[in-house]
Amino acid sequence: MTPRRTRFYLDKQNGKFLGVCAGIADYTGIDVLLVRVGFMLLNFATGFFGGFGLLAYFMVAWLADKKPHELDYVDREDRKFWQKVRARPGASIRDVRSSFRDIDRRLADVEMHITSQNRRLADEIEALR
Amino acid sequence: MDAPVFFVTIVAILTTLVGLPWMIFHYITQWKKNASITVEDENLLDELHALARRLEDRMNTIERIVAADSPSFRPSLREDRDEDLELTRSPTREPLTTRTRRRDH
Repeated sequence: MTPRRTRFYLDKQNGKFLGVCAGIADYTGIDVLLVRVGFMLLNFATGFFGGFGLLAYFMVAWLADKKPHELDYVDREDRKFWQKVRARPGASIRDVRSSFRDIDRRLADVEMHITSQNRRLADEIEALR
Repeated sequence: MDAPVFFVTIVAILTTLVGLPWMIFHYITQWKKNASITVEDENLLDELHALARRLEDRMNTIERIVAADSPSFRPSLREDRDEDLELTRSPTREPLTTRTRRRDH
């Protein structure tokens, strides 16, 4: 299977045990500490539910793949972007569009500035004649 | 065991063992279909995102160069720029250097 940005992977580098909680944190963008504490609290609250929580943990650890290296994020902004894509793809597509529009507007500003400056320069040269 | 009780038991077992997982998986697949994007779209989005970031970096460079060349460039554009920044871009995406530079002028 080809690696995908929107699939769940184990995060063994940042994981404490098998990387399931770290994987959930990486997937959703929730803080990893919060995921771990929530998992343990849920387990304690249900009295370990006949070991269901732990069973689910090991099942996920067994079934999910380790994160491939080509999917490593460039930086924090990159990670945030893909977490948003997983949650709401439409919103992140609009984000990319808005950043393109922003670049377009800034480029237009620079262009206008440069052309108007050159016209003024041309006018001054004209006046000197 | 008489017949009605037997049938009720069979129906109950079938409902819990077949019907319930079926329903759950039905909703899971439906949810996945709605929430996720296709591989092609994902690759396209990846490419566009990388492109946008590269262009933004170049734009920053160009604006810096132009602003260094002629100080008149920044002040005329500052007001509407800052307004739009609040709307379209999150504060984390804005590099720190450009923010402070814009305030200076």
